[in-house]
Amino acid sequence: MIRSGVWRATAATRAGGWRLGTTGHLSLFVWTLAAVFLTPAPRLWLAALVCLLAAIAFYPASLRRLLHRRWLILIGFMAFPALFLPGEPLVTLGVLSPSREGLQSAALMSLRAGMVLVAVDGFTASVSIGEIAALFERAGLRGLGFAVGVALNLLPILRHSITVTWHSLRMRGGLRRHPLRTLRFFLVTVVAGAVQRAEEIALAAEARAYSPGDARPAPLRAGAYDRLLLAAGLLVLLVLCLSL
Amino acid sequence: MRFSTRELVTMAVFGALWGALEISLGAVLKALHLPLSGALLATAGLTIALIARLFVPRVGATLFVGVVATILKLFSIGGVLIGPMIGILAEALLAEVVLSLAGRPRRPAFLLAGALGVAWTVVQPFVTGALLFGRDVLEIWLDLVGQATGLLGLPGSAAPLAAAAFAGLHLFLGAAGGWLAWQAGRQLSGRLASAPAVPKL
Repeated sequence: MIRSGVWRATAATRAGGWRLGTTGHLSLFVWTLAAVFLTPAPRLWLAALVCLLAAIAFYPASLRRLLHRRWLILIGFMAFPALFLPGEPLVTLGVLSPSREGLQSAALMSLRAGMVLVAVDGFTASVSIGEIAALFERAGLRGLGFAVGVALNLLPILRHSITVTWHSLRMRGGLRRHPLRTLRFFLVTVVAGAVQRAEEIALAAEARAYSPGDARPAPLRAGAYDRLLLAAGLLVLLVLCLSL
Repeated sequence: MRFSTRELVTMAVFGALWGALEISLGAVLKALHLPLSGALLATAGLTIALIARLFVPRVGATLFVGVVATILKLFSIGGVLIGPMIGILAEALLAEVVLSLAGRPRRPAFLLAGALGVAWTVVQPFVTGALLFGRDVLEIWLDLVGQATGLLGLPGSAAPLAAAAFAGLHLFLGAAGGWLAWQAGRQLSGRLASAPAVPKL
């Protein structure tokens, strides 16, 4: 018999990797963000090491994606201004003379950005959209799973509708002659079409006896190490933040 | 918060519209490096969320629309950036607080909700940059002042004036979005009320 809302310890290890449940991945994600916010700068490298080990264990693909040019350039842009922090120049690189403080600040910023990127990428790669919606439903947003499903399925249709409406108005010269009025027409047309689709979808759902009050949230994937990870994460975070 | 099936579907559709805007228009504005692209995107998204409030005039509806848009943004291609997700949620939350305090939908509440929601884009770098990435607050302030003086053509010595004008511009854009949402929403309600009704079961 299935009991919803109760963690089941399932066989979580498979050949070649550990498996976490939804709450395990969520714990890891929240832990990383908390570590980025709360860990004092001198101990941030320890937090980064823990994140690195977790990423290797649970989502190594996210670490590989971090080495893509796009993410490296993004991190570089964020950290670059920090190099100009005033201080005794430590090294001269052409026209740049970064100080020790500037290099430290840039390194810390890069470390934080890298941790956040890996955490977000790992979380979104490991947890499906339905599980995210189920988490929100348990937090009080009943019906979010259904709403997200409808939104996902409508997304391509709405994008097509937006594109067609935009081009139609543009071809009729609306944007040149009366841009503000055209924008309002555009908005009204797109939203009216969307609301009419909503009416049809609601009718279809009601015809299938769907009722958000009666629907139970989707069960969450359980992992054998979820609780252990949560407890260990809290302990490590306390040690990082409170140790002298 | 308990919503009916129709309310859920309506909010889902508006959330999908906001998400579609963020994904498509966001990419275009980012590629073009237009000034105030964040404010323009926030205005467009909040306009949609505020129109949704006219169709689902219940507490929590605007936040719900924002959460749907955030989830869609989270799972879009290239959506690993946490900044836009925090932005969407914060804007929706600010608008929700204003609209919930106002009670039933009113034009001044829409203007205020839009203004505060778009003004968040000025504040957000101080939150995500400083708290999340450890950037220096002074550095973020200097970036803001540089952006403001460049856009408004003011000298660097007029930093406080430039920052105030920059924030005022965001508030104006947001209020304009709120006004547009009110006007368009009322027009839509009238148009859809006169359309042949789909029979309810």
